[in-house]
Amino acid sequence: MIAVFESLLSATLSAAPALVFATLGAVLSERSGVINIGVEGMMRLGAFCAAVSALWLPTPVALLVGMLAGALTAAMHALLCLKARADQVVAGMAINLVALAGVTFLLETWFQPYGTPSIAALTRHRFELLEGVPLLRALNGHTWLTPLALVLPFALHILLQRTPFGLRVRTVGERPTAAATLGIPVLRLRTLCVVAGGLFAGLGGAALSLSVLDRFEQHMPAGLGFMAVAAMVFGRWSALGAAGAALFFSAGSALRISLGSGVGGIVDAIPQGFLLALPYVLTLLVLSLQGRRTRPPAALGTPWSPETR
Amino acid sequence: MPEPGRFRRALPSILSVALALLLCLVGLAIAKGSLPLALEAYGQLFIGGLGDIGGWLQGGRITLITRPLGETAIKASLLALVGLSVAVGFRVGLFNIGAQGQMMLGALAAAVVGAQLSLPAWLHVPVCLLVACVAGALWALPAGVLKLRRGVHEVISTIMLNWIAISLIDNWLAVGPLRAAATLGASRSGTDDVQVTAHLPRLFGALSRMNFGLVIALSALVLVWFWLFRSVHGFESRVAGLAPEAAQTAGIAGERRVLSGFLVSGALAGLAGAVWVLGTEFKYPGSLGAPYGFDGIGIALIGQNHPLGVGLSALFFGLMRAGGTRLQLFGVHKSFPELVQGLALLFVAANWAWGQLLARRVRPETGAPGANGDAMRPPLPPGENRVHGAEAGVGAPNASHDDDGATGTGDRTSSPLSKAEGGER
Amino acid sequence: MSLELRPGELLAVVGENGAGKSSLMNVLHGLYRPDSGEVRFDGRAVRLRTPADAMARGIGMVHQHFMLVPGLTVAENVVLGVEPTRRGLLDVREAQAQVAATCRRFGFELDPSVPVERLGVGQQQKVEIVRALHREARTLILDEPTAVLTPQEAEDLYRVARELAAAGTTVVFITHRLREVMEVAHRVAVMRRGRLVAEAATAQTSIAELASLMMGTSRDDPHADALAEFQASQATHASPTVARPKAEVTSDDAAPTGADAPLLELREVSVIEGGRAVLTHLNLELRAGDIVGIAGVDGNGQSELAEVVTGLRSFTHGELRVGGEALVTPSPAALRARGVAHIPEDRHRRAVVGAMSVEENLALGRQRTAPFARSGRIDFSGRSTRARKLVADFDVRPGDPALPMAALSGGNQQKAVLARELDLNPRVMVAVQPTRGLDFGSVAALHDRLRKVAQRGAAVLLISLDLDEVLALSHRIHVLHAGRITGTQVRGAFDPQVLGRLMMGAEAHA
Repeated sequence: MIAVFESLLSATLSAAPALVFATLGAVLSERSGVINIGVEGMMRLGAFCAAVSALWLPTPVALLVGMLAGALTAAMHALLCLKARADQVVAGMAINLVALAGVTFLLETWFQPYGTPSIAALTRHRFELLEGVPLLRALNGHTWLTPLALVLPFALHILLQRTPFGLRVRTVGERPTAAATLGIPVLRLRTLCVVAGGLFAGLGGAALSLSVLDRFEQHMPAGLGFMAVAAMVFGRWSALGAAGAALFFSAGSALRISLGSGVGGIVDAIPQGFLLALPYVLTLLVLSLQGRRTRPPAALGTPWSPETR
Repeated sequence: MPEPGRFRRALPSILSVALALLLCLVGLAIAKGSLPLALEAYGQLFIGGLGDIGGWLQGGRITLITRPLGETAIKASLLALVGLSVAVGFRVGLFNIGAQGQMMLGALAAAVVGAQLSLPAWLHVPVCLLVACVAGALWALPAGVLKLRRGVHEVISTIMLNWIAISLIDNWLAVGPLRAAATLGASRSGTDDVQVTAHLPRLFGALSRMNFGLVIALSALVLVWFWLFRSVHGFESRVAGLAPEAAQTAGIAGERRVLSGFLVSGALAGLAGAVWVLGTEFKYPGSLGAPYGFDGIGIALIGQNHPLGVGLSALFFGLMRAGGTRLQLFGVHKSFPELVQGLALLFVAANWAWGQLLARRVRPETGAPGANGDAMRPPLPPGENRVHGAEAGVGAPNASHDDDGATGTGDRTSSPLSKAEGGER
Repeated sequence: MSLELRPGELLAVVGENGAGKSSLMNVLHGLYRPDSGEVRFDGRAVRLRTPADAMARGIGMVHQHFMLVPGLTVAENVVLGVEPTRRGLLDVREAQAQVAATCRRFGFELDPSVPVERLGVGQQQKVEIVRALHREARTLILDEPTAVLTPQEAEDLYRVARELAAAGTTVVFITHRLREVMEVAHRVAVMRRGRLVAEAATAQTSIAELASLMMGTSRDDPHADALAEFQASQATHASPTVARPKAEVTSDDAAPTGADAPLLELREVSVIEGGRAVLTHLNLELRAGDIVGIAGVDGNGQSELAEVVTGLRSFTHGELRVGGEALVTPSPAALRARGVAHIPEDRHRRAVVGAMSVEENLALGRQRTAPFARSGRIDFSGRSTRARKLVADFDVRPGDPALPMAALSGGNQQKAVLARELDLNPRVMVAVQPTRGLDFGSVAALHDRLRKVAQRGAAVLLISLDLDEVLALSHRIHVLHAGRITGTQVRGAFDPQVLGRLMMGAEAHA
């Protein structure tokens, strides 16, 4: 039993960072009032660029490249939403489509259709001390992204809730015009949040190709970006809530994997598809129970310009 | 009956597609290091879709034209149906990202009914289509109900429903209970083969793969156009989509209109699945293989959510996709047209900017855009798309909302996506 | 245009909607940049590029639509942008202390730790003022500050303004209420069509003179007279010092005493929402020719009442009768079918579809009947004929029914709504805040139309936050407070001071 638990914990901890980072990125962007459904595309470009650059560059640097790619994609989103005043959901979907087709195109132009060659993944750390301890042993064998994913939600929470910067970001997401009359630069702040959100999403993507796997695989991130959006809504746009939801979702998919490898009997009884569908069904259920009590930032999706009064 | 304003309204879409084509051409030229090569690839792309007219004129066989056109028609029919599905969703104020899942349901339903029932041909096909429509609509139903009853945003719920469909169908039904039995010891993927009675008839026999799906798609376009723009029911549905509260005030059963519109949206996606299975695959092959639902979003928005626009953009991108296979001769992946489509959508998304640009070009004498009584407004004014109907929580004073002249930006209706309105007929 | 502000003075800037008052002040506040000309401060030209620049020079503004964040506390709202920090984090305790100090200094009573969404409108306005003062504002611009206040709250605001001016702050009132000007301002500037047309000491001018200056007409012009009269009627309730003209009861204004069944009747109607009673035991009766006004402070059940009588909201107890017939399941469609027309409060949301054409908007609500439809299909020629007629009859401009509604000005949109609703030939007209945001000309025309509706034998239910409007039109006024009718006055015996107290929740004495 403990073994099952250990493998579950271990699988969760190694898969979670990608989703957690992407979720935090979505939270940051949306708290400033910009809908971010393009997380999927930002992750894809992040994962791809990280993997490609890891072919030449040291892996940690490649991670940065992945983040940068996410941020650049997000900058495009910001440009569309804030400058060209595009519909934010449409712009996000457009980014997803471009990332999907564009990366596939580049992948096939430069490499094989199914993915990039293997690269040196991030180092997995082992601590002798933990090796002998039951349960805690599951903490071994992860990259440094795992502890980062556990700390970052708290950092973002403090940033949003406890600092003047966070107060301003929340104001911009709730009442942009009010912020503007107080001299808070609405568009600059939103741009910053969207781009920083892209940085996070890119990090999440890079985590997939540099940490979870050791190459870019053609379907990455395979819907994880949409999952991040769901986790954000699930967590009611709070950094901690959303990260909690992301961990929960990761545990859900880890459950499937570890059950699949661990206890054969259960899996035979429950079809794989059901287990796969479980996190999505749960999200739907919880959302329908929360119903209208979920209150997104009031100005979410509202284009704003200095002339908007 | 073309109106003078229609072309101008379509201009942003046309320019967006042109810009995307140009950008991709430049990209291709750089990637291949040769502009003539890129141009030739483009030429082949369109020959692949339109047919080798030159070759035929020089005495080639008619199939030089009919084969490519058939492929174009097949691709365009599917794109038109999913595009129409998404467009109908937009018209009733809902963003249907779930066309993918609804299409899967429709495809699976058509495959099962097509394989398991034995019926005469005149009945088999309609039954399959009907069942597929119902299946697609059923998969849209939870999202619609959750939106109206519980305020769950449809973008989130349809994404969830897509993944539930993929999990249940591709990872369970199609590989488990519904998987075709192994024949002659060789295991087969996907479901049982559809019976011949359920195949969509080919329109030109052996000359081309063009099938009855084209007729289905065209009829769907016309019917939806008639419903939306000619019938009172459609008018009410559009009002409910643009301004739910105004609809309610006008005595329109808005929620029912929105829900029925969303069911139609699901049914159209289901129909697309059926056309795909009965027209080309003849079974559910184990997965949809392509993000048709996403394509639908692109087609709908590039076509400005109008049946005519949807038809045209489906035709154009269907043509490019049919020709896309030819690109492989140049070492260019066949996903190239999808890249063009994605970029075009990206540019269409910046609709407001197009509006500003065109307005300035057309009427340079009117100083700042959005000035008083500015009649030349962008065709899709940016509205406030409020997710979840976020409300002003504070007891803010609701004194005058608008001074005279605050016209351009004053739309406060809830769905921004379906605003390509303004007396279309 | 040029304008000078002097320290410690109370300046009123008056003008109709769209005269440029707000634009002028937004220039001062750095939200807009002037195309030419300059802003001088203490004799030196300054460039106010952003609100931050303006604030740095001590110019603070209280906007017509409050600029507060509902979820944040009073203290957070006030310090927003100039937050005190400790080790990089927001210092909440320090913020509250600072705000409390500012409140003490200027004599405001506000609890800094309360979320602003729990405050009433008057209190919220004070938060805005404190916010400006907290930034050491020496010039305070108030944009239409009394638009949503009760007479008592307005008095309170005047007191605050006078005290601030006495302490050396320059206070600018932007308003179109002339009685307010006469009461508080030292000096008045009149704007019309973006120009400053006059400047005078308040003592040397009169409401009538200001009114004609605002309208840009000579004293003989009927519009100017109408405005002067209207503004004078406002003056009646504002201050006891101004002599109240006798409320004359003409035959037109007298409520007819029809013996037949009421056209619209509410009996003991209660609405309970989320366990809270929003309307309690409401009784209301509208007879042919009646104009019944509902006065009250925003949020006391007016919207709910309007929704009940138009079928938009179901009620928990009681009965709604139209023309003597009790409606079992009231719905907007059922009430429309029985001749209840509706000018909704929120035009953008409820009355028009901005993206649709004027013609389509004119069909709204009757889209299933002739001449707008025939056997489930839209009758394009019938619809277009009717739309052209209505646009012409009601002078909707520009007169092209094919234009999208959003391309019309607010006043013209409202004209179209009125045209549509009157074309129903209604028995009852429910008008909620019908003149909100309209310029004076449109207001007068609309009031005229409503009077004519009643004269024709229909009944009008006028629900408005603007007490002046209610006073100007109604035959009978009910005051709605906390979902109850707390008092009723009949034309001829209107007493704005009493009404104001009732609106604030005082019990009726008589």
